[in-house]
Amino acid sequence: MSSLFGLLIPWMTRDAIDGLFAPDGSERLARAVSWMLLFAALHGSFRYLSRRGLLVTARKVELALRRDVFAHVIRLPLSFFRATPTGDVMSRMTNDVSAVWLFLGPGVLTLVGTVISYLLALTFMLRISPLLTMVSLVLAPAVILLSREYGRRFHRLYRKVQEALAAMNATLQENISGIRLVKAYGLEEKEETRFAANCDGYYRQNVSVSKNSAVFHGAIGFLAGSGTALVLLLGGWLVIRGRLTLGGFVAFNAYLAMLSFPTMALGWVINLVQRGGSAMGRINEFMRLPVEPSLMKAQSSQAPEASLEDTPAPECAKEDAKEGRPALEFRDLSFAYGDGGRGGDVLRGITFSVNPGEVVGLVGQTGSGKSTLLSLVLRLGPVPAGAVFLEGRDVNSIPLAELRRSVSLVAQDPFLFSDTVLANICFGLPSGDAESARRAAGHARILAEIDEMPEGFRTVIGERGISLSGGQKQRATIARALCASPRVLLLDDALSSVDVETEREIFREILSLRGERTILFSTHRLASLSHCDRILVLSGGAIVEEGTHDELLSLRGTYFDLYSRQMLSMELEESS
Amino acid sequence: MSDGHEFYFLEDRVEAQAVDLRLLRRLLAYLRPHKALIALALLGLALGTACQLAGPYLIKVIIDRHITAGLFPGMPRWVAIYLLSLAGAMGFLYVQMLTVSVIGQRVILAIRREMFSRLERLPVSFFDRTPTGRLMTRLTSDVEALQELISSGLVSTVGDVTVLLGIAAILLFMNPALALVTFAVLPVLVLFVEVLKKFIREANREMRRKLARMNAFLQEHVSGVTVVKTFVQEGKSDARFETLNREYASESIRLTNYYSLYFPGVELFSSVAVALLLWRGGGQVISGAVTFGTLVAFLEYAQKFFNPIKDMSDKYNILQSALASCERIFHILDMEPAPEYGPARPAEREESGDAGPPEAVQVSVPGTPPAPRADSTEGDEPRPAIEFRDVWFSYDGPRGDARHGGEPVLRGVSFTILEGEMGAIVGATGAGKTTILSLLCRFYEISRGRILLFGRDIREYPGDELRRSLSLVLQDPFLFPGSIRENVAAGGPRVERALSAAGVAGIAGSWEEGLDTQVGERGGRLSVGQRQIVAFARALARDPRVLLLDEATSSVDPVTEHDIRKALLNILSGRTSLVVAHRLSTILSADRIIVLHKGKVRETGTHAELMEAGGIYRRLYLLQFDG
Repeated sequence: MSSLFGLLIPWMTRDAIDGLFAPDGSERLARAVSWMLLFAALHGSFRYLSRRGLLVTARKVELALRRDVFAHVIRLPLSFFRATPTGDVMSRMTNDVSAVWLFLGPGVLTLVGTVISYLLALTFMLRISPLLTMVSLVLAPAVILLSREYGRRFHRLYRKVQEALAAMNATLQENISGIRLVKAYGLEEKEETRFAANCDGYYRQNVSVSKNSAVFHGAIGFLAGSGTALVLLLGGWLVIRGRLTLGGFVAFNAYLAMLSFPTMALGWVINLVQRGGSAMGRINEFMRLPVEPSLMKAQSSQAPEASLEDTPAPECAKEDAKEGRPALEFRDLSFAYGDGGRGGDVLRGITFSVNPGEVVGLVGQTGSGKSTLLSLVLRLGPVPAGAVFLEGRDVNSIPLAELRRSVSLVAQDPFLFSDTVLANICFGLPSGDAESARRAAGHARILAEIDEMPEGFRTVIGERGISLSGGQKQRATIARALCASPRVLLLDDALSSVDVETEREIFREILSLRGERTILFSTHRLASLSHCDRILVLSGGAIVEEGTHDELLSLRGTYFDLYSRQMLSMELEESS
Repeated sequence: MSDGHEFYFLEDRVEAQAVDLRLLRRLLAYLRPHKALIALALLGLALGTACQLAGPYLIKVIIDRHITAGLFPGMPRWVAIYLLSLAGAMGFLYVQMLTVSVIGQRVILAIRREMFSRLERLPVSFFDRTPTGRLMTRLTSDVEALQELISSGLVSTVGDVTVLLGIAAILLFMNPALALVTFAVLPVLVLFVEVLKKFIREANREMRRKLARMNAFLQEHVSGVTVVKTFVQEGKSDARFETLNREYASESIRLTNYYSLYFPGVELFSSVAVALLLWRGGGQVISGAVTFGTLVAFLEYAQKFFNPIKDMSDKYNILQSALASCERIFHILDMEPAPEYGPARPAEREESGDAGPPEAVQVSVPGTPPAPRADSTEGDEPRPAIEFRDVWFSYDGPRGDARHGGEPVLRGVSFTILEGEMGAIVGATGAGKTTILSLLCRFYEISRGRILLFGRDIREYPGDELRRSLSLVLQDPFLFPGSIRENVAAGGPRVERALSAAGVAGIAGSWEEGLDTQVGERGGRLSVGQRQIVAFARALARDPRVLLLDEATSSVDPVTEHDIRKALLNILSGRTSLVVAHRLSTILSADRIIVLHKGKVRETGTHAELMEAGGIYRRLYLLQFDG
């Protein structure tokens, strides 16, 4: 509609001008001008509505697309995040989604606008003078061909620009990461030369884009102008011959001018379409990846009973009554990370069980497989069938949400979100609950420090807020886990930055809850293990010793060795 | 510290507060070397604009002299002139576009290089506290924004103004009364543009803020995805993301609405102007006061007149954000380079004054062989190579954080390593071992005491002479992308010898392309052990007077372990070296072991002496190596 009214304006110009030479000139002029004003107003409003309609719709599509991509990506298995650089994930969720919007919004708008303008303008032009229309269109194919050719060329050139930019950024990134090395070897000048070469490459590519773009603009401008000149010549002749009115002549020129912009924009639109298409392709690459399955169907189907979730695995059923079922059980669990392959098996033949309410400690040197063992309980990696059981059920047969609600894992490396303390501690709850947060913070021995913060539980922490010390972070993550009130708590060396005294207090607090919770924790501090019912010693992915602290000491094996070293190092610690 | 603070603050500002003249003046300084090109661009602009503006006037001439007069002969000549002026306009447009782009690119090239070279010379502590991503943004997005300003913003603004003034002049010249009619809508139009511009700017800023928040959320949830998964909070994260997403969408829709109003609005005004022109002009044509050609030319000019006005709000946005980027860029350029790049501190003490001249001679001879162990020609006593005298040091914590900043890492450290000796630093984690190597390289400035290398304070070494005399091997060897040979050659000229001494030649056989194997990003295609061996070779390639080595703690497979041990003993023998040692074999071969404990030197001596003394070393030894 807007195009129609837009195009009616020159039509009225024709009327007005033709009126100038008619006897009732002033009257016709006034009529034409009023029509013109009306059409201009209508054109403006319709243009506003159409722009708004189309662009807002495109924004809404963008909104939905972004939502879907996020919801999908966050449900992809951890192996995906290990294999894909953060930058790549980010760029698809940001740049590519924006590229799709650019195509759907301004791209489609321009495309539709161009097509309609063309059709309508041609109709009007044909009505004014078919001959003149033919002549003016002689150059149109050249314009379109030129746009297409340069569109392709720009596409190629921009890719080269991107490559040059990437090379430059890579040098930059390396230099920032390896700054010590650069300085230590006095490589500043050499690196400057290298960077200068990168910059030069980028410069050359950009200048070549500029050259092409300048030629393109010049040529298009000249072609469009030549069309005008042709029309001028022929139209002038037609007017002189009386076969065309002066108004028609001026209006025709106006239509021609109106078409020149959409014609030039065509190349830009083609570019947007290409970019939008490839961005959508990149997004779809992610969308096609399977999300973490709630139930491991392929594996659980091996055991026919597994579909009935309440049925315990057969061996389990015969030896235990329902209450006596272990909270956690590992049966001959072996595990290797799929990707590296270099490391071989991380876990080999792990078999043990933890009874409800029991506290079991895991010790072993770095790389002995403790973290892997704990993460498998939550199915953070692929768990072999019939190897890990939670309360008698194979973890593969428990819906993921249920499994992870029953078990909380506190990881070695504390990660907190840039949000309030309350939101962080209540992360596992549906919403912030000040009461539970206080209780959990109290158990994790961080309550006093939170109360001292400028805004207490409402204080924002993380990148955008105040930064916590390593120990505070760890205690906050423990509070977060306790707040989710899991039945099984897994602590993966989660107190390494907390001093020994506080650690003892936290353990005392957690242990006072032991009736409710089963705890499996790994630690490097052997002193904390004295509270355990049982200790497992892991070495090279296998359990080598098992028993209470005293029993293990009397074995004089790996545990004894670890213990004596720790005593020695504590002695050293105190000798300052 | 305080400037670090400002730096973080600047990060959050999206736009400069106002058009800062100082900033512009400083930016103009970068344009000065390109005077000739700028003159060319301006000439192209002026001539191009003139040709472009001649077009409608020529049409007027054609209409008045030929079309309304009904004279065809002679008209083709005018059309040819019209075509010629068009060709001229396009030719000059080409010249102008190209030169402007070249100027912009060259200025950016200069700024980028200047920034890089400044960055390379900033103190290591700056990199400790500034996230890599932030620095990358400075050198990429901010510089791009500036380029945008120079190549499209600045020049096209000049162009627009020229066109506006030119048209106004022509119109006034052709017919003052009609010109005023054309300009009649201007006040209203300017008001409309100004008002909407304010809204657009605000919505734009708000949208960018929302976008930044949403992206931060995304980034955080990608990094912290494990936490989201372990707490089964995917659903809640979806909901929170949806909130941010909607906020962003509603801001962007608001902006879209303004723009939807803006462009048709400006067009409406131009249509109104055309209608008014027809009304008034038409009347005058009828009365014969104005020729018909003049009216047509007026219509054409009016069209050209409103185009630049339409783009005005975009231009202003570009200018604003570019100036903010500019401010951040200059902030980096204004940072002081690390003191070691400045002039050497004048000698303060007589002893260094004495030792100065002969030292300088010795060092300036390239490829001086390392002093052999216990050089007998110099006398019986070997000279001290490395001396720490009561050195105190504390890292400036990030953002002047008192918690870390107050704690000294080294507290009165003193020790001496003689020429040709191998010194080993041992101690528990956090004792300050690696710090000693960093200080010797002058990565940080010490708070108290002196560090001497060959009898001369390290602060008195001019330029890169200090670091030229040292070779440092870091714990996690950082390799640059490129081949193995290129990486070794980065260290110095003696590549072949270094390759064989470090045993790279031995392991190179396992790679298909041998020494030309590409190591990949951060050396990722090599194993940790292999990277270490390549790093050894790189350190040897410069044939350093002193080798500094931060031995890696990470465990490697037994075969590589053997290779590393062999390479180490090979490169350390007969060379002055200081090693942060973790391997028993390395410690045992040291001439002097320095036992560092909580920032203090607690014991020094050989392995046997220290074991006999039964102090900290003995306990450390039992802890780490016994059993």
